[in-house]
Amino acid sequence: MVDHYNKLVKLMARAFYDDLTSKGDNQPKTGRTDNRGIAVVVLDALTRRQWVREEDLAKDLKLHTKQLRRILRFFEEEKIITRDHRRETAKGAKMYSAAVAATADGHPTAREGEEKVKLHTHSYCCLDYAQIYDVVRYRLHRMKHKLKDELEDKNTVQEYVCPTCGKRYNALDALRLISFEDEDFHCESCNGRLEVESDKIASQEAGDGDDNVRRRRREKLKDMLQKMEVQLKPLMDQLSRVKDLPVPEFGSLQAWEARASAAGRAANGDINAADSKMSQMGYNGASIPYSGDTKVVVDFNGTEGKGEGIKSETESTSLKVLPPWMIRSGMVLTKEQRGEVKQETKMDGTSTSITAQHTDDKKSTTEQDDNKSLQDEYIKAYYAALLQQQQELQKKQELLNTTELVDPSSSASGRQVGVKSKRDDAEDDGTEWEETPIGGNGNGGFKVADLNLNVQAEEEPPADEEDEDDIDWEEG
Amino acid sequence: MFFHIVLERNMQLHPRYFGRNLRDNLVSKLMKDVEGTCSGRHGFVVAVTGIENIGKGLIRDGTGFVTFPVKYQCVVFRPFKGEILEAVVTMVNKMGFFAEAGPVQIFVSNHLIPDDMEFQSGDMPNYTTSDGSVKIQKDSEVRLKIMGTRVDATEIFCIGTIKDDFLGVINDPATA
Repeated sequence: MVDHYNKLVKLMARAFYDDLTSKGDNQPKTGRTDNRGIAVVVLDALTRRQWVREEDLAKDLKLHTKQLRRILRFFEEEKIITRDHRRETAKGAKMYSAAVAATADGHPTAREGEEKVKLHTHSYCCLDYAQIYDVVRYRLHRMKHKLKDELEDKNTVQEYVCPTCGKRYNALDALRLISFEDEDFHCESCNGRLEVESDKIASQEAGDGDDNVRRRRREKLKDMLQKMEVQLKPLMDQLSRVKDLPVPEFGSLQAWEARASAAGRAANGDINAADSKMSQMGYNGASIPYSGDTKVVVDFNGTEGKGEGIKSETESTSLKVLPPWMIRSGMVLTKEQRGEVKQETKMDGTSTSITAQHTDDKKSTTEQDDNKSLQDEYIKAYYAALLQQQQELQKKQELLNTTELVDPSSSASGRQVGVKSKRDDAEDDGTEWEETPIGGNGNGGFKVADLNLNVQAEEEPPADEEDEDDIDWEEG
Repeated sequence: MFFHIVLERNMQLHPRYFGRNLRDNLVSKLMKDVEGTCSGRHGFVVAVTGIENIGKGLIRDGTGFVTFPVKYQCVVFRPFKGEILEAVVTMVNKMGFFAEAGPVQIFVSNHLIPDDMEFQSGDMPNYTTSDGSVKIQKDSEVRLKIMGTRVDATEIFCIGTIKDDFLGVINDPATA
């Protein structure tokens, strides 16, 4: 989603801001001071960030702050970025850096010497994707419109401008503008002689020349229009691609900071940034309606109470499925974050559950197209492990039965699990992660080795888990 | 475009007109008042064609004037965008030319004059084709198309074009 928008930004940067110079026109451009293309660099850098402090950005880009600021101001005027200025103390700066630390692209270098900041005005900037989309569309529309109009001589209302006071009139005012002294139009306010507004592209060199010039002008316009269509095609394609996608929204600086640092804190600092980035986009912080569901599982385990508090807390902060490209080695992730579908709850140790498992697998494969190959391997590994487990299963079965005996309605609870798994499928993406904490909290008295395993999942050995992990890492 | 419509107006009549010819006086005063006026809503009132109804007069306190609500039929002229009109050129300058179609003033700017016509300044400023066969000057009759109208409460002004098929000079006074 963000990728598409980022691509849009990059295309736009190259299409419209490629030859932008931040220097004033009065300075002669030598090879050294020629900084065309810097705007593209800045925009590209911004696509890799969210809110960023301008000094940090300057440092990262090895640009002078002033120079960067000039470019950013220009982009602000172009409505491409939003900026935020605030006076802040070291504390405020820390807040920002905490937020940065929580984002994927937080650059560690950017946080040096944060402590010595004392009530300075800091500026932050961020791409405004929603607006960019509109700005680009509007720009294209205007370009096309202007060329077409000129081609067909369609902008019928001629405009006049007063060279002295800059007041503008159009042909509908003509009656008021004629003076009786001469035949020209005169400005109402300063009586200056009006000039025909010529904002035409092709009319510069062609004065009121002969037919030949006119025809050449038409050809030139047509040519221009065609060239525009061809050269801006990628941009237009990207626009249409992006059309139905939700816009990545970072919110205001404050909101973003709060969210990012909250997400960072919630992940205990060890899940890095990628999560918080994900959670910022889709996640609105209030998805606790699941606590009811999970309670059912806990009841079944017969170990309620203990895990709940922690669970709901982690839930609220938790964890979206990470796309495979975001997973890097060294990240501490739960399986749910890797996008693996949970099977624990669906297996209650009966032989029927195995078939249920298969359907589950199939569903999840369709859901996660990108994980298909992974899924295949997973299935292979799973069957291997399953055989091996079949023996273990007997033992576990006995164990489970004993617990179910403790439970007043063992058969009922068995069904309950089935129901539960179905519901899981239905709202898969939402519910997947919610169970992690159950396992992770270690609330089961029946836990074997892996903390991530639920009671019902005990038949899935740790080795199996490891297999998946390996596959994951390679693919990622 | 012309319309035949019914309008209503409150006419104030001086007591000296009261008498046998009150009604005639009222009508002639109505015609004097409304013909040639312009309202943004209905356009120019060209002519009163008949009286529908004259209501009961109301004597104003203090003045002795009597107010009659009069319903009358009239022909109005209202120019519309895209309409084709025939008009008489009233003034030519390098910005274009002005023309009148009855009460309506129309301005044709020079970029809405065909590209092959060029402005010739001088005693009689005009737009002429390169071969001199067609000339637009004061008192020429042109057929033009209205490209835009500006409608105020009491004024309508139009801009027109002659850059289209079958538009342009229809009767040149110099050659006629």
